[in-house]
Amino acid sequence: MPFTLEQPTTVEEALRRLADPTGGPAVAIAGGTDLLLDLDEGRVSAGRVVSLRRLPWNRLQWQGDSLVVGSTLPFARLGADPAVRARLPGLVDAVDAVGSLALRHRATLGGNLGRAAPASDVVPILLALGATVRLVGIGGHRDVPVGRFVRSSRQTDLAPGELIESISIPSAPVSAYVWQRVRPANDVSQVGVAVARSDSPSGWHVALGGVLPAPTRVVEAEALLARRRPNDAEVELAAQAAAQRATFVTDKRATESYRRRLVSTLVRRAVARALRTEVGG
Amino acid sequence: MTRSDAALKSRGGAEYGLDLETHGMLHGVLVPSPVASGVLRSIDLSAARTAPGVVVAVGPAELAALLPNGGDAERPVFPRSRVMYRNQPVAAVAARTLAEARAAARLVRVDVTNEPPLIDLEERFPEWPASLTSHDPAVVAHVVARHGDLAAAFRTADLVHSETYRTSGIEHVALEPHACLAVVRDGTWHVTTTTQTPFGVREDAAEILGIPQESLVVEGTWVGGGFGSKGAAFLEPYALLLAAAAGRPVRLAFGYRDEFQVGRSTLPAVIRLDTAVRNGTITARRVRLLLDTGASLPGRDFATGYSIGFLLGPYRIPAFEMEGYAIRTNKPPFGPHRAPFAPQCVFAIDSHTDGLARRLGVDPVEFRLRHVWREGDRTPLDQPVGPFGAAAALELAHAKVAAWRRTLPAGTGIGVGIGFWSTSTGAGGEVRLRLTATELVVEQAEHEIGSGSIVRGLVAVVERYFGLPADRVRVTSPSTATAPFDSGVFGSRTVAALGKAVEAAGEKLLETLATRARASGPVRLEFDGRRLLVVSGRTKVPVSELLQPDEREGGLVAEGRHYGRSGAIDASRVVEGTFYPYTDFTASVHVAAVSVDRETGSVKVLRYAAFQDIGTVLDAGMFRGQVEGGVAMGLGTALTEESLWAPDGRMANPGLLDYRIPTIAEIPPIEVVAVEGFLGAGPFGAKGLGEPPIIPVPAAVANAVADATGARVTELPLTPERVARALKLL
Repeated sequence: MPFTLEQPTTVEEALRRLADPTGGPAVAIAGGTDLLLDLDEGRVSAGRVVSLRRLPWNRLQWQGDSLVVGSTLPFARLGADPAVRARLPGLVDAVDAVGSLALRHRATLGGNLGRAAPASDVVPILLALGATVRLVGIGGHRDVPVGRFVRSSRQTDLAPGELIESISIPSAPVSAYVWQRVRPANDVSQVGVAVARSDSPSGWHVALGGVLPAPTRVVEAEALLARRRPNDAEVELAAQAAAQRATFVTDKRATESYRRRLVSTLVRRAVARALRTEVGG
Repeated sequence: MTRSDAALKSRGGAEYGLDLETHGMLHGVLVPSPVASGVLRSIDLSAARTAPGVVVAVGPAELAALLPNGGDAERPVFPRSRVMYRNQPVAAVAARTLAEARAAARLVRVDVTNEPPLIDLEERFPEWPASLTSHDPAVVAHVVARHGDLAAAFRTADLVHSETYRTSGIEHVALEPHACLAVVRDGTWHVTTTTQTPFGVREDAAEILGIPQESLVVEGTWVGGGFGSKGAAFLEPYALLLAAAAGRPVRLAFGYRDEFQVGRSTLPAVIRLDTAVRNGTITARRVRLLLDTGASLPGRDFATGYSIGFLLGPYRIPAFEMEGYAIRTNKPPFGPHRAPFAPQCVFAIDSHTDGLARRLGVDPVEFRLRHVWREGDRTPLDQPVGPFGAAAALELAHAKVAAWRRTLPAGTGIGVGIGFWSTSTGAGGEVRLRLTATELVVEQAEHEIGSGSIVRGLVAVVERYFGLPADRVRVTSPSTATAPFDSGVFGSRTVAALGKAVEAAGEKLLETLATRARASGPVRLEFDGRRLLVVSGRTKVPVSELLQPDEREGGLVAEGRHYGRSGAIDASRVVEGTFYPYTDFTASVHVAAVSVDRETGSVKVLRYAAFQDIGTVLDAGMFRGQVEGGVAMGLGTALTEESLWAPDGRMANPGLLDYRIPTIAEIPPIEVVAVEGFLGAGPFGAKGLGEPPIIPVPAAVANAVADATGARVTELPLTPERVARALKLL
């Protein structure tokens, strides 16, 4: 469907345009790699599309031990940053899993979160890393943990007129994201598993993508990964616990029983991959 | 050798169907049926007609006024009563802009009953063939052939190997969608279109519209990939109808979504195979095929009787029975897809044969060598097998398997697949050569579809025949108004058939030149860097001196034709239905090396080798490219591509997100080897190459997976989940 594109250069202007009732409903767009398909096929209808690409959000910076990623930063820049690769290897795993290289030069972390796709490759690792989403609205800022921000399939905590400004991600050198697809490149994951080991508070976080309406942490599995370096038996128990977590979806990409099988396999692989930097440690 | 279209296409200068534009042109949009099965009660076009920008809206009720006798009764442009598949065009509108036409199409009110559609073959016929008779209204074709004492062979067998295979629907995914531009003026119907067969479109569209063929002119464009999708009239009759109604030019084009939802391609099938063995030799084979042919019409099914022959394999089988059912379902009609249904048949029979050899404890390649046709053998329907490179290719594959066993890591699965194909003759083809002082022009009807058969294949034939450099040869593609007849770019026939027509025309041309040059013996052509010369012994005469005044512009003309024959099948072996003769056999033997993830079922193809029986290679680069392209496309059929149909007849994956063609990341290094010397019927003994390289790919990959894991996957494609099931992971 045809729409008009608006390209504000300040945050204030962007918020004002989004809230402007004249000219019909408006929707914010960052990279557009997901939204444009929905606009084209009529799943989202908006006469006005407000681009965020001219806002000063296309950047990343470290604040203490946390990485703050501007919401319009393309995935490709995140994956190419040496400090990010060293301190957040699981985030880089997930970013590198998105689409193709061409697409990663366009797609953004903010857009991925805002669209809240059930099979997002990025939301599971943000959950496991304990990331926080910074939102901005006419009334000011608020910070929401990713687990509360993504509510369900395509449902977020974003209020009308609000925008995602940035995402704050505590570093976790022991972290990983692994996935399974029909086709390795440029496909939607049937299952994605993210794990991260945190020091404060100490413990493992495990999150699943692609198997439920929204990416979800599995505390049952986390509880079984009590030690910094769990042994094979403990990992296996955690993997089984994750697989028994809930009724997973059956859809055109995979059946529930296959997804269940993949969850246990991928939890094992994710923990092993996260510990790869600590061999013998 | 650089292709003559390379520079043009690299610069974006080639005009495709979607580039067509003309002054005062309208945009057409088809109105889709909202249900897969139902009876049309009414179509209300009034709101669409008064919508902004709309010039004309037509439905079934308008056909009588626009077409002689309302067009073809059997295949009306729009259904008159029953809707057969979801999104079937039931009406059409034309407006000034595409957006206006789309908006108006949504205003058309289609009142149609909603009946439960037939989508899943096995849901309807779970116990087939026991539960199925040829009288069932869903059966549009039933073919049976048999020979030899089948009962005795199965009774006395040491071993009977019985399996059921399933294959999925696949799409063409040509880069360029269907598009055409129609103009109807002063009783002449004219359509410019992207097509593999201008004369085929003329015949087909004229029949559908009920107009004489002579009043319709079909003009081609560059074609951005065909793979069988552009081999018959499709959008052209709708565009012509709209142009006639509007009195203005109308362009009609599909988007990718339309290609998926309405395109005519390969549909699912179930295949049952029983093979009897005695003393390590196959004594009998029974093959049964249940083929989904979509909304195809009775009497128009070609797929079943043609494809089922591939199910017996290129093997000596003393006794056989083959039985095929074409089932009419509520999907778009079955249409040809590169080597129609042969990759699926070969997947089934060659997986079956490979598994049988393993069960017998015999090397699978040796087992095939024991049975494979050699020159002088007869096919099941008693056609003679001519020069055939299958055994030679199998020997090469055998050596490749052994080499990879030594060098590739333990756990690697290595599989072989063998396919055969028959280079089609089509209904024949003709060319017109024009020799001027400086170039030789080949006039013929076909347009380059991407494979290179026109821009390079025909040029290579001229190079060899006349000894002229490629830059002195130009191939043109006039419209059907003036082009010599040809039956189309399909069946791997283009270079084989038109190349022979070039030779025939060349012979006449050289005879004329010899007469005019008063040569005592045969003459040949030569290029001296400036002009063309006729050479006879030591005498050289410029062509310009031999041209008559009226030939200065158009050149000296010589026409050639080639109407090949397919030979006959033994009709006494046919019990029911129509079977088709094969001719000019090619063999394709492929070797795949794979790794299989034993926990997820993911298959990665590590290495690939293709041994292609080709007769004579006319151009080494094109040969290699054609085989590599076939392998890449076949890997999609093998591993990832399948059309998914929901129970209500909706296509569930009408786009490239969930219909997964391979990306370059999945394509392994491919070794391509020509097996030459088993000469075919084409020019200089060449055999057709359009389709053969895709045929054995799914079989080779499946056999490699079985080699790696011991598990046999009996359903295409071999997605990770299907492999995981075969591995009993779930």
